[in-house]
Amino acid sequence: MEIARASNGTKRMNLPLPSTAQPPFWRPVHSLIIVVGNYGSGKTEVAVNLALQLAGQGLRVRLADLDVVNLYFRSREAQACLEAHQVEVVVPQGPMRYADAPVILPQVRGMIADPQVDCAIFDVGGNDVGATVLSSLHDVLAGTPAHVLQVINARRPFTSTVDECLQMMDSIEKSGRVRVTELVSNTHLLDDTDVSHVAEGVRLTAAVAQARALPLAFVTVPAALSTCADVLALPHPVMPLTRRLPTPWAPATPGGQ
Amino acid sequence: MKGNEAIAEAAIRAGCLHFFGYPITPQSEIPEYLSRRLPELGGCYVQSESEVATSHMIYGAAGVGTKVMTSSSSPGISLMAEGISYLAGAELPVVIVNIMRAGPGLGGILPAQSDYAQTTRGMAHGDFRLIALAPASVQEAVDLTILAFDLAEKYRTPVILAGDGVIGQMMEPVVLPEATVGPPLKADDWALTGCVGRKPRKVSSMFLDPDELNAHNFKLKARFAEIARNETRFEAYACDEPLDLLVTSFGISARICRSAVDAARSEGLKVGLFRPITISPFPMDALREIIGRSQRVLDVEMNTGQMLHDVEMAAQGRCPIDFFGRCGGLIPSAEGILEQIRASLAQLPKGGVP
Repeated sequence: MEIARASNGTKRMNLPLPSTAQPPFWRPVHSLIIVVGNYGSGKTEVAVNLALQLAGQGLRVRLADLDVVNLYFRSREAQACLEAHQVEVVVPQGPMRYADAPVILPQVRGMIADPQVDCAIFDVGGNDVGATVLSSLHDVLAGTPAHVLQVINARRPFTSTVDECLQMMDSIEKSGRVRVTELVSNTHLLDDTDVSHVAEGVRLTAAVAQARALPLAFVTVPAALSTCADVLALPHPVMPLTRRLPTPWAPATPGGQ
Repeated sequence: MKGNEAIAEAAIRAGCLHFFGYPITPQSEIPEYLSRRLPELGGCYVQSESEVATSHMIYGAAGVGTKVMTSSSSPGISLMAEGISYLAGAELPVVIVNIMRAGPGLGGILPAQSDYAQTTRGMAHGDFRLIALAPASVQEAVDLTILAFDLAEKYRTPVILAGDGVIGQMMEPVVLPEATVGPPLKADDWALTGCVGRKPRKVSSMFLDPDELNAHNFKLKARFAEIARNETRFEAYACDEPLDLLVTSFGISARICRSAVDAARSEGLKVGLFRPITISPFPMDALREIIGRSQRVLDVEMNTGQMLHDVEMAAQGRCPIDFFGRCGGLIPSAEGILEQIRASLAQLPKGGVP
């Protein structure tokens, strides 16, 4: 399985593969998936991993990088990886690729109801500011059923309580002119994540979900911790997550990779 | 936390409840974070009309004995030059964060280390040097932000936290000091707090008498020498034994160099890494000592070779120095640096010391 193979940290090689006893992975019913959340909640890693996961199931996936707010750590940095896995990426080309200018390509509008695409994923910028992009597409989005996933990392500033998460949801909904339909629990501390952080995130996200009577779509778990879903007996679908936006100081491999 | 958020929160925990600034990529999360947090804490956040104004607002705040910070990125720091010179002349303790982006001019919004020379030598007109701290991780950004406030207070000087776009934008787990809000500035003996019942004080950088100004300049110089004696910080990684190659680098590029040095050492190569943490004052003596037992030096920076001049000064011509730089927003990869390490080692005369 792709996700398991990608966990290539040598010290983790002998960990067991993801259990097959987990609930089946979240399966979208609408072809449009919009990923929103606060800055640094992990929207991009969730969008990229979700794209790879769905493409791995044989679906035709196209991902649009709609982050026009902050040019660091955007899904365009994972473009090569996505394309290698047959995910199409919609992103400005040329110098505008490196800008934080509000450039929305015409292809973004076009992919919303494109019959050639099974799953269209929008990776939206952070906070209400990032979500304003969606309001510019309101004329088409208003009549299109979509999954609007709010990603929550309980270990981020300003989304560590139910009230803060609801405030974030309200501000995103207002500026994006969309309704959040489902939540994604994505609590982690990068390499320092352990089972307790995952559990803490699920508790918070479930409470937020309950407050708004929304479903919790899925829980991300670092691929290296893939057995923790069993340990925690999570009733939610689990998406093993492998970080696809590499850090520049990733270890040098003698002789190349 | 993101580096920018971590710096902002660290400032609060150091006791800074006053911030003046202006947004600019890639540091905008600092003002953004503080605009939300400071009012909650009874502090003060002001978005100035320009960076020039900012530099004078922090002058005013520090002058009345307030712990104060501003942050910007390269072009904004250039705009602050006037105020920074006045702050240095008036000996005011402020912390100035520069999350560098690629220049010159408007340049681009991707990360760079191209303000090294400006930060360590030429922040503005007049004869002064400032303390400048260069973090290589988000945790170190937290620790050095707190240190910056301590040093500013102790030596009555502006202190620069010199990061880059990667440090500002990357996320890492951090441990913060427990105190929610740190202590206020100790400025009882000089700040302008109202002179009822005591002699009036003056905070100024104006000295019309040439003898006085001459003495003032030499006083600042002596203080910087004292800072150099007491506060110079560096990391010497894998430098204990004689080295075939010493890599020198600072900030985020040093972090990448470390990965390359690890890979080189795993191949049995005798390579070490020297990283100044205070890029000003530069740890000249420490580097000179390590260069004294190194065959060759490879300096790596995200610019065209600015710290290189300090490394050359430390080497005093005693060994060859290679340079590997990337700018424009490009970040050298660990693999790319490893290749440069091999290329530098290949220049060594066979059979050891020349």
